[in-house]
Amino acid sequence: MQKYLTVFAVDWQNQFIYRLNFILWRVRNILRLLMIYFLWNGIFTTNNSIAGYSRPEMLTYVFLVLVITSIVLSAPSADSIGGEIGSGDLSNYLVKPISYLKYWFTRDLSSKLLNLSFALVEICLLWVILKPEIYISPNPLIWLATLVSLGFATPIYYLINASARFVSFWMPENTWGLSFMVIVFMEMTSGMIFPIDVLPDLAQKILQFTPFPYLIFYPASIFLGKIEGWNLFWILFQSGLWTLILIGITKLIWSKGLHVYSSEGR
Amino acid sequence: MFTHLKAAKYMKYFKIWLLYTTNTFQQILTNRVLMLIFMLGKLSRIIMFMVFLFFMTQGTSGIAGYNQQQILLFYLAFNFVDTLGQFFFREVYRFRPLVVSGNFDFVLTKPFNPLVKVLLGGADLMDLLMLSLISIALFWVGGTGITQNIFSWIGFLALTVNSVILAGAFHLFVLGLGIMTPSIDHMIMIYRDLTALMRIPVDLYIEPLRSLLTFVLPLGIMFTFPPKLLMGLLSWQMILLSFALGLSTLYLALAFWHFSLRYYQSASS
Repeated sequence: MQKYLTVFAVDWQNQFIYRLNFILWRVRNILRLLMIYFLWNGIFTTNNSIAGYSRPEMLTYVFLVLVITSIVLSAPSADSIGGEIGSGDLSNYLVKPISYLKYWFTRDLSSKLLNLSFALVEICLLWVILKPEIYISPNPLIWLATLVSLGFATPIYYLINASARFVSFWMPENTWGLSFMVIVFMEMTSGMIFPIDVLPDLAQKILQFTPFPYLIFYPASIFLGKIEGWNLFWILFQSGLWTLILIGITKLIWSKGLHVYSSEGR
Repeated sequence: MFTHLKAAKYMKYFKIWLLYTTNTFQQILTNRVLMLIFMLGKLSRIIMFMVFLFFMTQGTSGIAGYNQQQILLFYLAFNFVDTLGQFFFREVYRFRPLVVSGNFDFVLTKPFNPLVKVLLGGADLMDLLMLSLISIALFWVGGTGITQNIFSWIGFLALTVNSVILAGAFHLFVLGLGIMTPSIDHMIMIYRDLTALMRIPVDLYIEPLRSLLTFVLPLGIMFTFPPKLLMGLLSWQMILLSFALGLSTLYLALAFWHFSLRYYQSASS
């Protein structure tokens, strides 16, 4: 545990080396939010309710996306794992008494903490500037359930990404292509741009059998009080199940990949 | 005589560009699987966002006064202009490593304008293929639901050329900044995120953001004005202003590029 705390501390400090870069990365996140915010704002100028969402609910959803993406999707591992396998740099980790998967997850956690701190400041600033009507649940159980769902969403995202990058063991030149496909599907099916329940029932049912809506849509819906009672329990159970399934898949791909790993480029 | 020399110079540049383009096309074709995956990814992104817009505008009274077909046209026009910019200026994405490593020296010593290489030298085959698919969708949506007036389409294409000039100017600023501050490694991605704001018409943004995005940056002119002209919603004053801003932004960008070149230190070479 101590060694991972050290990794966390070192990575935390490293993030402050390229400060301007980080600030610009945050600017990019705000720009993405603005497009979605004004699109929904435009839609609600002529409509009172869309797919069961009132204006305050939808604008809260948009703001929640900024916070949730900072927690769930901030992951430097996504940019590094494939490259390290392809270049042979993975060998540097394999000879160390450290788990490669846990090492990158720890670094991701450090990045998430920094991104979350900035996201909260940004939300306050945007709230002051845009003055949207937003909905905040007074129920502490809702907050707790949201935190639990985020606790599942974070490893789910990490495991999806790691599994996609492990393709580099077999096809180092195609890693980015597959990851790009994963990013595209995640963008559209995780709830990053729109809540999944605005889609037709069939599409929603199909998506429920993929891990993507558990990343953003379900945590946000839980916070908005759209998922309650038995349904809430069921969604949290499914999130946990997806986490376990993905741990199994990732470990399997990792061990199979290590068998073919030849440290090319070293 | 002077004009003749200039024409010969630009013909030489065009031949060099063709050579670079052939090389990058061949390079892309060496990994057809990757090319296919990327094409599928890009196409899926466009189709899924269109499906979303379709559902959002179905059964509603539109978005901020625009009906379903108009919203779809705005989105397709955005992709058309965006992909055109990516097709011509893809090499900018590879500029930073060139500066950091000092290998930009090899470009500067060549007997032609370095912009032919660093700005235009990496035309992407995938973008060209995407462009053809987007064009079909754009002309189909625009032709069936918006207008069949040939002059409107000529105006649309003229404003699109202006948009490409503006995109070139933006990329020139990115190149200049890449020389002056090599510590920023995703300046071009900020440009991409800024342009992504225009997936929806600029009219949806509130003031003063709307004016900032239209006249200062000027993304609204690049992405929203061409489809607006097609819909007959753009005044002639705005059309003239678009061209004036396009040319003046290009002039400023070129000046900035020449200014930034003075800061190139050939580090690491």
